[in-house]
Amino acid sequence: MTLAASVPDTWIGRLMQAVRASAKIRAVDVAREEEAVAIACGASLAGGRGAVLIQNAGLLNCGGVLAGLVELYRIPCFFIVSYRGDGRDPIYYHTPKGRVTEATLGAWRLPYALADRAEDLAAQVARGVELADESRGPYVLLITGGDLE
Amino acid sequence: MTPRKTFLEALVAMLTPRDVLVSCLGANARYLPHLAVPAPCIALCDSMGAAIPLALGMALQRPDRHVIALEGDGSLMMSPNVLATVAAARPENLTALLWVNRHYESSGGQALPAAPVDWVGLARGLGLTHVEPVPDVATLHAAFPRARDARSPALLVLDVAFDPHEEIPPYSERPDEIRARFTVA
Repeated sequence: MTLAASVPDTWIGRLMQAVRASAKIRAVDVAREEEAVAIACGASLAGGRGAVLIQNAGLLNCGGVLAGLVELYRIPCFFIVSYRGDGRDPIYYHTPKGRVTEATLGAWRLPYALADRAEDLAAQVARGVELADESRGPYVLLITGGDLE
Repeated sequence: MTPRKTFLEALVAMLTPRDVLVSCLGANARYLPHLAVPAPCIALCDSMGAAIPLALGMALQRPDRHVIALEGDGSLMMSPNVLATVAAARPENLTALLWVNRHYESSGGQALPAAPVDWVGLARGLGLTHVEPVPDVATLHAAFPRARDARSPALLVLDVAFDPHEEIPPYSERPDEIRARFTVA
């Protein structure tokens, strides 16, 4: 990737610390998640490769820009999304987001995978980027805090 | 007040092949295929509020090119937060032009919420330092080169006449055609 646009949560914030340490990836802090999607798309349209690092709450904000920019203009866009509120998340107030995350991804027809920390996570990221490139569309890798250990 | 097309023609006449143009949805996107734009151009037909962040991503990816974003006040009203994002990223090669006509022109000419928004003040309050009001074409002719040379992100706030009877051409290109043609060499 050449650029990663992000709104952090606890988990994504840790991931972005690693991104900032990279000399190859421009980290862009944004105010709202739809911006992150458009910024990543702009980098890709200009010859780079943009990624979006956000929480699932923010992904739920992004239906319009996914349909009206990413899908409509067929732009590769790779997401790493923290999956708050699934069964492994100890924080109770994330639960409603967790309940609707995969259902929403399905309704929006977004291809996605759950990161599997028992396997090679770098390979899963590489595969997601590749699938976004091949489909010229979005691809979402859902992660949990444990995946960052 | 100045008609939209007059502003747009004046801007296009100042562009060079080294620029990159990103247009929001609506009238500007519908006029652009009919103008001789010398720069790579991508025009949106949906996704309100995406023009400035899309241009920001391009500007950060290609610091050797100047990227110009056209955005409407209806779109920016939805997402003024992007101005803070631009101010934080500090691209030296991004100029945004905000077309203020106080109407959602492309959806039937409905009025925006009737608040007297101070766009220049808002943009400065969100951290942009190079912000200029542009009431007419003569000012645009002076302000656009200043914005291009500013070495900081710039916002020009254009005061645009709203004409409910303006005959704006329909969209003449499909997004996949626009996307296929768009390259930044």
